Amino acid sequence: MKYVAIINDQHYEIEIDNTGSVLVNGEARDVDFLNLGGSLFSVITENRSFEAVIDDDEDKIAVMMTGRLFETQVLDERAMLMMQRRGAPASGSGEVHAPMPGLIVEVTTQQGAAVSQGDTLVILESMKMQNELKSPTDGLVSAIHIEAGQAVDKNDLLVEIKPAAEKS
Amino acid sequence: MQTGPFNKILIANRGEIAVRIIRAARDLGIPTVAVYSDVDRTALHVRYADEAVHIGGPRPAESYLRMDKLIEVARRTGADAIHPGYGFLAENAEFAGQVMDEGLVWIGPSPSAIATMGDKQAARTAVRRNKVPLIPGTEPGIRDEELIHAASRIGFPVVIKAVAGGGGKGMRPVQHEEDFAESLATARREAESAFGNGDVYVEKLLEGARHIEFQILADAHGNTIHLGERECSIQRRHQKLVEEAPSVFVDADLRGRMGEMAIAAAESVGYVNAGTIECMVDRDKNYYFLEMNTRLQVEHPVTELVTGVDLAKEQIRIARGRRMGPTESLLEPKGWAIECRINAEDPYANFMPSTGQITTMILPTGPGVRVDSGVFSGSEITPYYDSLIAKLITWGETRSEAMLRMRRALSEYRIMGLKHNIPFHINLLNSISFIAGQFDTTFVERRFNMNTYEQDPTASDLETVAIAATLYAHRKRQLASQVVAPAKRDASNWKWMGRFERMHR
Repeated sequence: MKYVAIINDQHYEIEIDNTGSVLVNGEARDVDFLNLGGSLFSVITENRSFEAVIDDDEDKIAVMMTGRLFETQVLDERAMLMMQRRGAPASGSGEVHAPMPGLIVEVTTQQGAAVSQGDTLVILESMKMQNELKSPTDGLVSAIHIEAGQAVDKNDLLVEIKPAAEKS
Repeated sequence: MQTGPFNKILIANRGEIAVRIIRAARDLGIPTVAVYSDVDRTALHVRYADEAVHIGGPRPAESYLRMDKLIEVARRTGADAIHPGYGFLAENAEFAGQVMDEGLVWIGPSPSAIATMGDKQAARTAVRRNKVPLIPGTEPGIRDEELIHAASRIGFPVVIKAVAGGGGKGMRPVQHEEDFAESLATARREAESAFGNGDVYVEKLLEGARHIEFQILADAHGNTIHLGERECSIQRRHQKLVEEAPSVFVDADLRGRMGEMAIAAAESVGYVNAGTIECMVDRDKNYYFLEMNTRLQVEHPVTELVTGVDLAKEQIRIARGRRMGPTESLLEPKGWAIECRINAEDPYANFMPSTGQITTMILPTGPGVRVDSGVFSGSEITPYYDSLIAKLITWGETRSEAMLRMRRALSEYRIMGLKHNIPFHINLLNSISFIAGQFDTTFVERRFNMNTYEQDPTASDLETVAIAATLYAHRKRQLASQVVAPAKRDASNWKWMGRFERMHR
């Protein structure tokens, strides 16, 4: 199987054959990759020993190693082909969900407002802290499903943004 | 009763601080009673205490803040003293009063000391009598024209603060005199809409200031001492993240003078038991009283490690009416201690709190490492309480040794199942400014960010990450495509394959 792993815009061509050997950009690597339970892994490459916590979220694989978080994307041959045809992968959806249960303190936007990525839309209080929930994309606020003072559950849909047309 | 003998302690709290107090009581041979809400049935404080009583629903107002229930549980279990921990009812003068009226011992200061120090204006009035320096500023309830005069007398920059604000809310800095009138109008309007009270006052804005606090111990025999300072400038939105003792900024002379000031502040309200005098110290080492916390602090362990004094035990001893153990103020700390607050907060997502089950937790150990924690593998972090998972504290002969041990401990600590701020601490411990001791209370918010590191990852580290992510994706895909269990060859065979490769190269 051939894959391309992308980290910080750097591409690594990685080939894993059905015997389990690993080639990185065509060079063989001695890799011992063990699951220690849950999302904890032990990785020994060329005698260097690391522990990594690996989780995936939709199309991203998050690797926590050496105290840092690395967001990686791993594409197989088919995904690579699709990406070449379609261009860049589609940007995030325009839905803002509650990341945790809590209380809506304030809705800082309104129906129809133009927002930019990173603008604060909603302030959610949970664990005695106020958290700013931000717009995932540029666009227009197409729906607001909550109001101040309302209690919400994890993953409740709060605000919908109609993404601005892709810039060409 | 404020002090007197007792034989069983009810702990009106939860989490790591409840566990901390149970440990102190157990060391003294005193039995304890824990209380718990619906979601804390399996919590460590419930399991470690001698007795445990369910007191209500998960929301604090239904359980840990129910004064009537707590006192009833004390009566029912025969507990004759109550320790409030920190947070919840720890600085509630009314509760302290009710406990004493019941004939129980309150392990803390008198209700009047709590009430005075809990009211900003009353506290300023009280400590001023003992010549404690205050940040230059005005009283509340002053008309606009007079405030403008007062501001220019204090000298710019100043900060306009809402009387009803606090904890970083309702504050508006003003750099130049010509902007003052407009900022004042805005501040009043904001205070009116946020707190329903438009009253404001003006204070000198201290730039580059550090948050340094002094630990006070006072017994009922008229002895009041300080146990040196704690540096708490590493904070975000007024929430402390890292504390250390001593402070790189405080020398023996300043420690002596600030310590005397802290004792004078505590004595102004006849303080008995453990307490903390919080101060702001500007670049020129001018120091000002900020407030007094009339309880044990979250960060008390750093003081314990550099003094050898068990503060929770001293609190109990003082409440029993005995003389406290240490008799003299501490002018020379032994070594250095650092505490990192491990919170369920994602430093990569604006410190968003994270809830869920801790699936795995591996604690760091080894020389110079202490962990105060109330959670375990399998425990649930709920949205009802604060996000503190544990306090990781290291000690060393020198600040460098304490920092190196902290780095080692952070790299060993594994918490899985939810997001936590260990990566923040690792990044901070690698920051040159932090290592050099050059920071103030604005450091984390203004000069620190998780996307900048002092060192870039090495090419071989990046390649290892790429390999790990790819093998992870590969395995997941195989699992998904095979309805039948995957072949025996997995995990450890990667190693075997590596050897095979070398043999056939």
